[in-house]
Amino acid sequence: MSFLSKLLFKNKTQEIAAAGSDSILIKGEELKRSVNEVFGRSLFVRLVDSGSCNACENELAALSNPYYDLERFGIKFVASPKHADVLIITGCVTRNMLNPMLKTYENIPSPKFVITAGDCPETGGPFKDSYSVCGPVSKYLNIAVHIKGCPPEPETIISGFLKFMDILKASYRNTENTSIKMPNKIINVP
Amino acid sequence: MDKIILNKHNIKSSDFINSADNIKASGKYLLGIAAADERALNSKFTLRYFFGGGGGIDEYRVDADESFQSISKICPAAKMYEREIYDLFGLLPSGHPDLRPLMLYPENWDSSVHPLRKDYNNLIPDMKKYGEYKFKEILGEGIFEVLVGPVHAGIIEPGHFRFSLAGEPVLQLEIRHFWKHRGIEKVCEGRDFKDALNLAAKISGDNNVNIGIGYLEAAESILNIEITERAKYIRVILAELERIWNYVRDVAWIFMDIGFALPAQNLFALQEELMRLNKNLSGHRFLFNSLTIGGVNLDLDSAKLKAIEEAVEKVENIIKDCEEFILNSSTVLDRLEFTGKINHKTAEELSLCGISARASGLPRDSRIEFPYLIYDKLNLKPVLHDGGDVFARTVLKIKEIYVSKKIIEGLLFNLPEGDIAVAYGNKPEAYKYAIGNSETSRGNAFFYIMADDNGKIFRLKYIDPSFRIWPSIQYGVLGNIIADFPLINKSLNLSYSGNDM
Ligand code: SF4
Repeated sequence: MSFLSKLLFKNKTQEIAAAGSDSILIKGEELKRSVNEVFGRSLFVRLVDSGSCNACENELAALSNPYYDLERFGIKFVASPKHADVLIITGCVTRNMLNPMLKTYENIPSPKFVITAGDCPETGGPFKDSYSVCGPVSKYLNIAVHIKGCPPEPETIISGFLKFMDILKASYRNTENTSIKMPNKIINVP
Repeated sequence: MDKIILNKHNIKSSDFINSADNIKASGKYLLGIAAADERALNSKFTLRYFFGGGGGIDEYRVDADESFQSISKICPAAKMYEREIYDLFGLLPSGHPDLRPLMLYPENWDSSVHPLRKDYNNLIPDMKKYGEYKFKEILGEGIFEVLVGPVHAGIIEPGHFRFSLAGEPVLQLEIRHFWKHRGIEKVCEGRDFKDALNLAAKISGDNNVNIGIGYLEAAESILNIEITERAKYIRVILAELERIWNYVRDVAWIFMDIGFALPAQNLFALQEELMRLNKNLSGHRFLFNSLTIGGVNLDLDSAKLKAIEEAVEKVENIIKDCEEFILNSSTVLDRLEFTGKINHKTAEELSLCGISARASGLPRDSRIEFPYLIYDKLNLKPVLHDGGDVFARTVLKIKEIYVSKKIIEGLLFNLPEGDIAVAYGNKPEAYKYAIGNSETSRGNAFFYIMADDNGKIFRLKYIDPSFRIWPSIQYGVLGNIIADFPLINKSLNLSYSGNDM
C-alpha cells in the first residue's frame, strides 16, 4: 500500500480523534455548546508568548493534533489579534515582551478577555526573581482564567476554556471587568 | 576530574587575535565564550574561550579590566558572544564592528547598568525609553522591507525578522531576538546546584532532558559525583527519546509548511503518542524532573521497557514511509531541494553545530566529539549530508531518528543492575569550575559553571545550540523567496527561549 493510501485509508486521523479519550470528547462537546451559545459558533484565540520556556507553546500547539483537534469544538487560534476574542498569554512577561504583549491586547476588538496558560504568567514561575522579568501578567491586565500547570496538559487547557465559558455565561453582558489596567509606572512604556 | 578540557592556556587579550587565527587554522572551532566577574578573586574580569574539535576542548583564558580585544573579524562566530558580554558585563570588545545592544533593549534598559557584574545592586531601571535600536538598512530603487514579529501568526515564540527585498528574492534578513530574555544565568547565581538544575530544564523546555544532561555533566564534575551505570543508561534512553519526539515534530512541521496536512497530522498524532509515553514513564509529558543530581528520578521496569520498545518500533515504521515518500515525490522535493542553503564555509565560519552543521557537511556531534555518559561505547558515526538545504536537514532528522532508535534498542534490554541515584553530600571546592556538554536535538548544549566558596553557584554560563545557529538563517535565506522563509526556519526549528535565555 502506498504512503498516501495508507494515510487515507489506514491511519485515519478522524479515527484517532474519536478514539482519543472520552473525557476530551465530553468536555469538547460541552465547550462547543457554550461557544455556540455565547459567541455564535466560534471563539477566536490569539496567543502571545511573553517569555516562556517553550513547553507551554508546545502544549497549545498540541491542541491542534488529531487527538484533541480543538477546532472541531469551535475554538480557533487566529493569526491576527484583530480577529480575536481571547488573548492567551504564556510566559513570565519579560521587560522586552511587555510592550508587544500590551499592544497585542490593545489590538483585540472589545469585548476581549485574557486567559493565562501555565504557572509563569501567574507567578513568574522559575524566572520570577530576574532583573529582566516584570510579570506577572495580572499587574497589567485583568485575567478571566488562570490555567495552572507547568506546562498545563492539553486536556487541562480544554478544561480551562470550559471554566472560562462558565464564567462568561454567568456574566457575559457585563464586560466591565475586561478593561485594561495600566498602573502609572508603566504607562510610559515606549 | 576534568574529563574534557584538554589544555588550558592563559593569554594576553591583545595577543589573542593572533592566537585565534592559529587555533582556527588548526581546525578547532569556537564553542563559546564565558565571561565572569572574578574581581573578588583576582581583581579582573575573566573571559574563557572554548575551542572544540579534534577529540577535545581547549580553554584560553584572557583577563580583562574594562575592555578586551574583539576576535570577530577573524572568527565571525565570536560576534554574538562579544555583544552579549558588552551588554551584560559592560566590557568593551574593542574593534567589534557592531556594538548595538543585544538582550538589554535600549527601549527599556539603561545601558550603563550591567546585571552580571557582581557589584550590580539589583536595582532595576525604570520602564522607560533610554535609546533607539537601529536596524541595518538597504537602500535603492524598488527595495522594500517586510517586517515580521515579534508576535507571529502561529503558535510560536516571539522574534523579529526584517526582510529587505527587491522583487521576490530576499536581499537581506536581519533578525532581532532576545525578546524572551529572562536572565536565567543571573537567577542561577547564589542558588544551590539542585535549584539550578530546575532552572536549566526551563531554558528550552522541549530539550530539557538533553540540556539537563549537559548541566549535570558540569555540576557532577564539580561535586565529584560518579553516577551508576544504570543511571547513565537511563539518561541516554531518555535523551534519545526526547530527540525522537523532537524530530518527529520537526518533520511534521516540514509537511505542514509545504501545505501537506495529511502526513503532518499523522506525525503530530505520533508526537502526541510519544508525549503520552513520556508521561507514562515519568509522570510528565516533557519528562520534566526526570533527572537529578547523582542520577535519575525514575526507574524503568519491564512494562516500561516494553512500552518504549513498541513506541520506537512504531515511529520507525511511520518515518520510513515518510522518508520513502519524500524521496519519491517530485512536488515535495521541489519545495525542499536547494531551499535555504547554508554553505559549508558559512557553517564553518559561524561554528554551527548539530543537524545544521551536519547538513552542511561538518561532522559535529557532541556525542561523538566530546562523548559523555556511555556514548563513547556506542560506536556512533556522524550522519552527514552536504546539501546544506532544507532537504538535507529533513533527511538527516529522519536518519537521526533511526540512529536514536537503534541506540535505545541496544540499551533497553541490557540495563545494568544498580541504584538509579547515588546520595551526595559533597560540598564543592571553592571556586572550582567545570564545563559540560551534551548533544540536544538542535546541537551542542554547553555549560560553564563555577562554584562559590559556599557550595552555591558563582557563575553559570550556558550556550544554547540555537544561539550559535540563528545567525546562519540570515545567510540561508539570501536569494530565496520570502514564502519559503517559514520552511527554512522550520527546517532548523531553533529555540527562541534557549537563544534568549
Ligand atoms: S509554566 Fe512551566 S512549562 Fe510553561 S513556560 Fe513556564 S516554566 Fe515553561
